[in-house]
Amino acid sequence: MPFFAYAALFLFFPAAEVLIGSFKGVHGGWTLSNIHSLFHSPFREAFVSSIKLSLTTAAAGCILGLAIAYAAIRDGTPRIIRGIITTFSGVAANFGGIPLAFAFIATIGNVGIVTKFLSSDLHWNIYQTKYPVFGSFTLFNTFGVGIVYMYFQIPLMLLVIAPAIDGLRREWREAASNLGANSLQFWRHVGIPVLMPSFLGAFILLFGNAFSAYATAYSLTAGSVPLVPILIGYYYSGNVLDNPHLAQALAFGMFVVLAVMMLLYIPLQRRAARWAK
Amino acid sequence: MKIRMKPSAIVWLLLAGAYFIIPLVATLLFSLNKVSTGTCCSAHAYGTILHDGAFWQNLKTSALLGVETIAISLVLFVPTIYLVHLKLPKLRPVLAFLALIPFVVPPIVMVIGLLDFYKGSPSWFYAQPWGFLATAYVILAFPYMFFSLDAGYRAIDIHTLTEASQNLGASWARTLLTVILPNIRAAALAGSFLTLAIVMGEFTIASLAAFHTFPIYIQGIEESEAYPAAAVTLISFGITWAAMLSLLFIGRKRGARGALIAGAR
Amino acid sequence: MEDYEEQELEFWRKLEEMDMSRSSMLKRSVAAVAGLTVLSTPEIAMAARGIAAVNPPLKGKSVPLKEIVAQAKKEGKLNVIALPHDWANYGEMITTFKKKYGLSMDEQNPDGSSAQENQAVQSLKGDARAPDVVDDGPPFAISGTAQGLFARYFNTNFATIPRFMKDTRGYWTGDYYGAVSIGYNAGIVKTPPKSFADLLKPEYKGQVALNGSPLTSGSAVAGVFAAALSNGGSLNDVGPGIDWFAKLKSVGNWVPVQANQQTVASGQTPITIDWDYLNLAYGPEFPAAKWKTVIPADGVYGAYYCQAINATAPNPWSARLWNEFLYSDQGQLIWLKGYSHPARFQDLSKRKVIPKALLAALPSAALYAKIKFASNGQQTTAKNLIAQQWPAKMGA
Repeated sequence: MPFFAYAALFLFFPAAEVLIGSFKGVHGGWTLSNIHSLFHSPFREAFVSSIKLSLTTAAAGCILGLAIAYAAIRDGTPRIIRGIITTFSGVAANFGGIPLAFAFIATIGNVGIVTKFLSSDLHWNIYQTKYPVFGSFTLFNTFGVGIVYMYFQIPLMLLVIAPAIDGLRREWREAASNLGANSLQFWRHVGIPVLMPSFLGAFILLFGNAFSAYATAYSLTAGSVPLVPILIGYYYSGNVLDNPHLAQALAFGMFVVLAVMMLLYIPLQRRAARWAK
Repeated sequence: MKIRMKPSAIVWLLLAGAYFIIPLVATLLFSLNKVSTGTCCSAHAYGTILHDGAFWQNLKTSALLGVETIAISLVLFVPTIYLVHLKLPKLRPVLAFLALIPFVVPPIVMVIGLLDFYKGSPSWFYAQPWGFLATAYVILAFPYMFFSLDAGYRAIDIHTLTEASQNLGASWARTLLTVILPNIRAAALAGSFLTLAIVMGEFTIASLAAFHTFPIYIQGIEESEAYPAAAVTLISFGITWAAMLSLLFIGRKRGARGALIAGAR
Repeated sequence: MEDYEEQELEFWRKLEEMDMSRSSMLKRSVAAVAGLTVLSTPEIAMAARGIAAVNPPLKGKSVPLKEIVAQAKKEGKLNVIALPHDWANYGEMITTFKKKYGLSMDEQNPDGSSAQENQAVQSLKGDARAPDVVDDGPPFAISGTAQGLFARYFNTNFATIPRFMKDTRGYWTGDYYGAVSIGYNAGIVKTPPKSFADLLKPEYKGQVALNGSPLTSGSAVAGVFAAALSNGGSLNDVGPGIDWFAKLKSVGNWVPVQANQQTVASGQTPITIDWDYLNLAYGPEFPAAKWKTVIPADGVYGAYYCQAINATAPNPWSARLWNEFLYSDQGQLIWLKGYSHPARFQDLSKRKVIPKALLAALPSAALYAKIKFASNGQQTTAKNLIAQQWPAKMGA
């Protein structure tokens, strides 16, 4: 249990400081007004945006990551591909902020190489076309940010789920097909239940990862997409606003959101684990 | 070995490849632009970076920091999660919850709290990156390590393996080191990769605590130069990737024994 | 005011007392090395390093420069924070200082914000890595003073700094100012924009960017102020400024990317609203971008940054030497070379010490004559209004 001692020392105390600080007022003294203002504009929108973005990128990351991981690991694929993909994912999972934003701006921004290629060679100007469901496309709104977030969400999923897929041993697949099951049935009765606990764990991890990311979104949109971590940065360490206790209240709000996610996760997890047995 | 890839696998891998490689290519093209014309091609940006002494020094610091963080993390987490899976499954959700806390506490806030808290500690711990910063990074790496190792432990049958090994007379330590560890090699490696990437990319804590690490150096370039910024992005991407590939090889050599056990399943 | 003066004098008095019991200090530091926790007070830290705890002066004039240089050399280094090399030519400032006085400099967090600078002063208090000097935005200079973070110092040229750009108690001094400008890529933008009104025209679709969000970037806030001045608002009411940006967005000219060197060099932000000293520096830095700068005639808004010395600086003499250097003619001209207007600009031009070439590189002085600065109270009002309205009107 040295682990718990470690966690206590290095994690709890700073975290506790955040929670306590959120109840303090600008001029000293205790107040609930910081928490209260969380429910109003613009913070409410920020929480809604952050949660929506995190949920969608976590879900998309999980599904796409699973598909890619499975493609890389299954029989038939050369082993070296798995090594390359795993190591690349390790780097990409932490690639973010200005370099990532710039890479995407340079690719599909207004004068990005793909944008230029599509518009000059294929006569498809992606910024001016009206798409059936979306309306118009731009890199610089929540949807665009989501696309960029995939760059680190998918690799994260890959890394976490790969060992679990290993566990989905080929023997099981062979055994299942010997018993006469086809691909779909294998997945329904064996694959998905076995993977589900790890899948849920990965989902939470991806959610947390997206929820606390901010440098990328800020570089991409100069803050016009309101996200909670960006707002925290404004109030805690910006050049303009200066209200550390409000920032701490925002962090407290993040904490509550994650706590809720965990509460949803635990019963789901237990059920999934039962299937896996 | 015959290559018989399923077509769906090929499609997925190609799509993934395109999505991940093209932005890097865009960065590469930009980094090769000449300052005077803004178009191809000149390697001056790379020259600037590679001839900068600060680049190598900071790289060394961060590399060592990465190794230290990985070592501490593995030593701390592998046995703990093993124990939890084996003996205390009820504790697992608690750990998972703890694992999410580093996401909630923004690094900005965490570092202020940590600095405050440890202000009085001896300077061999506080003033050196090897002490203070490494411990902070272990905390940052905790969620990733936890979920990786968790998935890894879940994928193998811990109870059977442990029982078997103990019936053969192995002690706890021996069991852990020679039986369990090779089987969660993939998960431990994944966790290590993520940890290394975190250390090579973490900026806020190091900079507010006034240390000089590689990510800080990179950020400095990003903020003040255009072409060298793209160059240094790719260089650091390449270096981190190379580091991971070498980690992979190291893991693979020792995995020979692990293959035996895996084959036996 | 008075309690800070008293606190200052207490500090200097304590330093003198420490001097007398030096031997017990040394004994204690040996014990600390043997494994006990180092006590984290600056006095003991300094004594343990064997530095003579001579009081650094309050007034630059009271001590010959040679003395300051000698004491600084004994300290050997200077810790600075948040000084990007291409911001008002700090790069040249730093290298010149290092060469001239043979000191080494520890540069931290080059892109740090003013809040982070003050936080570093507080969190690293007593540590050898704490920043010795800071370059803060005025609100943070003022709040830092109120928190007792800074030391008082009147450098030799204090009298020639304009009244509104300094704290008369000596806690901080304005270092340089700039005006909001419009920078543009002459290769991409065919018709040069000359004013905020121009920027709303359809030919600039998808081209105009700010240097970050006004909720966190001083330059962006200044942009809102300048837009307000151009759109019927005033220093007391930046609402019209926010409305102007909302209009910019609705006609499709706004690109929400944060403008920086990369976006300028690559042409992704063909027009930026940013400080003049930043935009003017991009010109020679990126010849391929053909970057030109204009001061918008309908909204000339300026702001300055402030120098302050850490009250518990680990290298107090070096800090004061840096301060003296910055406000010497040589230092001020280096800032001028970086396209900013140094604090003593009026004094320098009166004495005719500014090289003609430098003056010619700056936009016309007539425009700068119209410049307006906002007071701290006006800034606070503006910030609160922006915090309320900007996300709603400009959010995606």
